[in-house]
Amino acid sequence: MPVIRNQIRELRTMREMTQQELADRIGVTRQTVIAIEQDKYSPSLETAFKVALVLGVPLEQCFQYDPRGKR
Amino acid sequence: MATSLSYREKTLYASLAAELLVYGPYFFFHQQNSVNKVAGMIIAIIALQTALQLIIAVLTRNRVTDERDRLIELRGYRAGYLTIATLMVVGLGMLWFHATFGQLHLDSRMVGLHFLSVFFGMLVIADIVKTAAQIISYRRAL
Repeated sequence: MPVIRNQIRELRTMREMTQQELADRIGVTRQTVIAIEQDKYSPSLETAFKVALVLGVPLEQCFQYDPRGKR
Repeated sequence: MATSLSYREKTLYASLAAELLVYGPYFFFHQQNSVNKVAGMIIAIIALQTALQLIIAVLTRNRVTDERDRLIELRGYRAGYLTIATLMVVGLGMLWFHATFGQLHLDSRMVGLHFLSVFFGMLVIADIVKTAAQIISYRRAL
């Protein structure tokens, strides 16, 4: 289990938003959105806030910190 | 899930292909060193890299690079630096060993050319390691 998990895919699909649309709105590549959704990349704080802002939810609803997780 | 390559990944694969295509034959098939060959190789890699990067830039609609690209780039440079630093230490150690105990005569006419070839080889290896490390980083979790 990774250190930082996220619910971006669920939140994004609920809003019928594509990975490319989310990527364009937060200023990253689609491959980075894919990597974040697959827990392969933990974004910077700035990008994390942008994701939460675009999805219209608090940061902690998007990202969760698991102290027992392994990177 | 389909994960097509980003602009940066495409340029990295092109760089690696160009490096292997140009440097590979030089280091594995050449018989004799010469300054002209090294110069020719440098010109060839610049021309090939320019052509490939131009083609990729024209064919890729979305040329955005982001924080992940920059992080991976830094990781690549770290791997390249560690490689060249290690090769330098090993290379200088071998040079000292051969000069002290072996047949290497530092006043020989060909020594300069051998040095050029060896140090250029180190740069090439470090560059290939850098590019390969970046490609691997795109495929692995960061």
